[in-house]
Amino acid sequence: MAQTVIQQAPARVIPKNKKKKLKVLWSQRALLIMSVPLLLYAILFRYVPIYGWAIAFQDYKPGKRSIFTGQEWVGFDNFVKLFTGLMGERFIRAFINTIGQSLLTLVVSTIGAIILALMMNEVRSLIFKRIVQNITYMPHFLSWIIVTGMVSVALALPSSGGFINSLLMSLHIISEPVLFLSEPSYFWGVVAGSNLWKELGWNTILYMAAMTAISPDLYEAASIDGAGRYRKMWSITLPSIRPTIIILLIMNTGWIMSTNFEIPYFLGNGLVAETAETIDVFVLRYGYQLGNYSLAVVAGIFKTIVAIILVGLANFISGRLGEETLV
Amino acid sequence: MRKTSKRLALALALTLPLSLAACAGQDEPDSGSTAPALAADDPLGDASGTLTPQNPTTLSVWLTTSQQVPAPDNKITQLLKDKLGVTLEYEIVTPDNVDQKIGVMLAGGEYPDLIGTTDLKMRLLEGGALLRLDDMLDSGDYENLATHVDGYRGKMSYTGGEVDDGLYIFPNYNRVYGEVTGGTHYGTAFWIQKRVLEDAGWPDITNMTLDKYFGMIEDYAAKNPETDGQKTIGFELLTSVGYEWGMTNPPAFLSGHPNNGGVIVDDNDKATIYANTDVAKEWYTKLNEEYNKGIVDPESFTLTHDQYNAKIATGAVLGMHDQGWNFQTSTQSLQAAGQDSYTYVPLMPVYEGAEPYYADRDVMNTNQGFGISSTTDKSEQAMRFLDTMLSEPWQKVLSWGIEGEDYEVGDDGMFYRTEQQRTNGKDLTWRSSNRLDALLDVLPKHNGQFTDGNAYSPDDQPDEFYATLSDYDKTVMEAYDKQTWRQFVNTPPENAVYYPAWSITLSDEANEVNQQIADTTVQNLPKAISGSVADFDANWQAYVDTFDQIDVKVYEDAINAGIQDRIKNWSE
Repeated sequence: MAQTVIQQAPARVIPKNKKKKLKVLWSQRALLIMSVPLLLYAILFRYVPIYGWAIAFQDYKPGKRSIFTGQEWVGFDNFVKLFTGLMGERFIRAFINTIGQSLLTLVVSTIGAIILALMMNEVRSLIFKRIVQNITYMPHFLSWIIVTGMVSVALALPSSGGFINSLLMSLHIISEPVLFLSEPSYFWGVVAGSNLWKELGWNTILYMAAMTAISPDLYEAASIDGAGRYRKMWSITLPSIRPTIIILLIMNTGWIMSTNFEIPYFLGNGLVAETAETIDVFVLRYGYQLGNYSLAVVAGIFKTIVAIILVGLANFISGRLGEETLV
Repeated sequence: MRKTSKRLALALALTLPLSLAACAGQDEPDSGSTAPALAADDPLGDASGTLTPQNPTTLSVWLTTSQQVPAPDNKITQLLKDKLGVTLEYEIVTPDNVDQKIGVMLAGGEYPDLIGTTDLKMRLLEGGALLRLDDMLDSGDYENLATHVDGYRGKMSYTGGEVDDGLYIFPNYNRVYGEVTGGTHYGTAFWIQKRVLEDAGWPDITNMTLDKYFGMIEDYAAKNPETDGQKTIGFELLTSVGYEWGMTNPPAFLSGHPNNGGVIVDDNDKATIYANTDVAKEWYTKLNEEYNKGIVDPESFTLTHDQYNAKIATGAVLGMHDQGWNFQTSTQSLQAAGQDSYTYVPLMPVYEGAEPYYADRDVMNTNQGFGISSTTDKSEQAMRFLDTMLSEPWQKVLSWGIEGEDYEVGDDGMFYRTEQQRTNGKDLTWRSSNRLDALLDVLPKHNGQFTDGNAYSPDDQPDEFYATLSDYDKTVMEAYDKQTWRQFVNTPPENAVYYPAWSITLSDEANEVNQQIADTTVQNLPKAISGSVADFDANWQAYVDTFDQIDVKVYEDAINAGIQDRIKNWSE
């Protein structure tokens, strides 16, 4: 009933285009009503919890009192603490590591997935294709604790089962075993490599799906024009899945700040801390484990803001380049 | 810098695997039977009548332990039901997850009936999760608990000021009754494999120095580059997260000080950090030398704690600095494989002119143990449960087992075990059905001796200890004319009142500084150790420079305040 009133009463006074909009709204009322629960869900679970940010401005002690009553308000003290002094150096280092590890992972795994998808798209034997797909998906279902365990063995000395060292030595690429996990400059690579191994097959799924949607006519036409296999990949397949690639890249930029907890946490050690420690590990160490929840929330706020900026930026750039955008 | 024998608790829990059981009682051992009508004089019954099979009680128990959860068919669980009508619902959190878990619990504000905490930061206590127990205790209804705290009440009580002062937690380890009788050294030492000593013809191990210690290892490693097909590792350095003390604590011991964690406390009870001083530099210089000789394992710095233990269990590691309890599982697996020559003897190297002070008197685990939650409506039952569990008959059931099943009683009244019973006690699967290791880890215990002269657990029983020694171990003992492993380390003098400083609860600021110190050592020292000998001084200087940026005074002041506080409150 309420809707009817809205529609009728002001209809006489408002300009025509507004009236038209309302009409559209009315005609889509069923859809709007259906979206209400989802909207409520988003508000309840994504926006309401933001009240917890109040903790960032308090000397928060859990247990005895609620967030709003009885906690001591300290203004921006926690922000000052996190971004300055010794703590600040650590945090900035963690920030750089987070961005660095994530970007490297993103680039390596995107390129890897596209290459694998292209290759599988060319495979004619369905059985072989299925086998390869299944093998490459498999690691996705392993938990990170298992994967990091495997990585640490694989990269160990030959005497501890480090087959990568054994392999490199038998190929005479190196003469002495390399301690991959105690050299800071390798750590980002270890992160990207582990991610590539684990997620390669999984990441190809969307690209493969996009490729099946490409019209066979295009390939036929190209063949008639004398294009070879590589030419077709380059001029037809890749441009056709470009929107998918762009959208996935934009969406993944949103995760840049929040991926990579497990590998630095499980494989990081004192020797490589300078390149291993990410924001999430830092927050766990100095926030949760020391019971300093306020500091953890400050770091969380910072992460959220940076993530929003990154996604916005990627979206904007993409739009400027005339590509797909999210909104 | 970390608290060292942080979990001596664990140590002692690990001694239990050797134990078998007995109810001092004379009850029928058939625990699976339906509850018999209990005579009032049943030693396992509750004389006060609060906990009876006719009136079943369910208690929820939250506890922190790395011990395994009991199997559903556990016989002691059944016995609790038959004798007391008590059913326990466990929520067991392992120590590495507890920091996160505590925050969640506090935020929720709902707690189980019994809370078994080992949190040195006392967040549950200070967050108001625990009930102040003094009034109940003073009612005189809880005899065993009253005896337990008698003489130690000041030490066991909380005085931090966040909540009302008083007794909240019954300590789980080392409130000692009678004499300490154990034969195993669970504390700190520089450990060396028995085969190294044997090969050197059982050399004199008194007046040990770092040079002598590493000298023996170097000689042996040169002669035996391989162990069972694997490369022999001279010295394994323990540096994994949470166990950094394996690397950072030696300077204190080498200079003749007991384990106070990251500080050395002088005769005037003043604590000073030593991580950046000359006593530390001497130790790391030596490590650097040995690293470049190939004696220190280059993988030391990347091993997780599990991998470290696994490495020791291979038998290829000749020596390490560690606390006995920490590699107990590895020792057990070596023993189970019959490779006693790969197990270890504790040695005590010191710097020129220092007296070794490695072994200390068993320290009471203050602030770790069971408390009762502030939200429970079953505080009386919970308190009665703790009290009953602390009675001698139940303590014997918990630590020795059931008489006739898990241990035997000799004509002289002393407990002993058959070979089968000893084997059972080492079997983890057997234990999960016949022991409540997780619960016992946090329960207050009758450490020391029972009134009948038996030791608290089989591993502490002198005859049991000697009977369980392998022939090889007996040879080692004979070669050095000793009867127990404890005799290989110094006879501990009386502990200082405040001892140990590592268990002092710190403010948030001091904890943060402590964390920064730990991070700085872990991030810089491995570089200095694994660098070339020529670069060592430069690397050391870089470390000291980083270290100097930390406001260590905050930490030192907090520790000193804690020491003074303890001297004031604990001197009874």
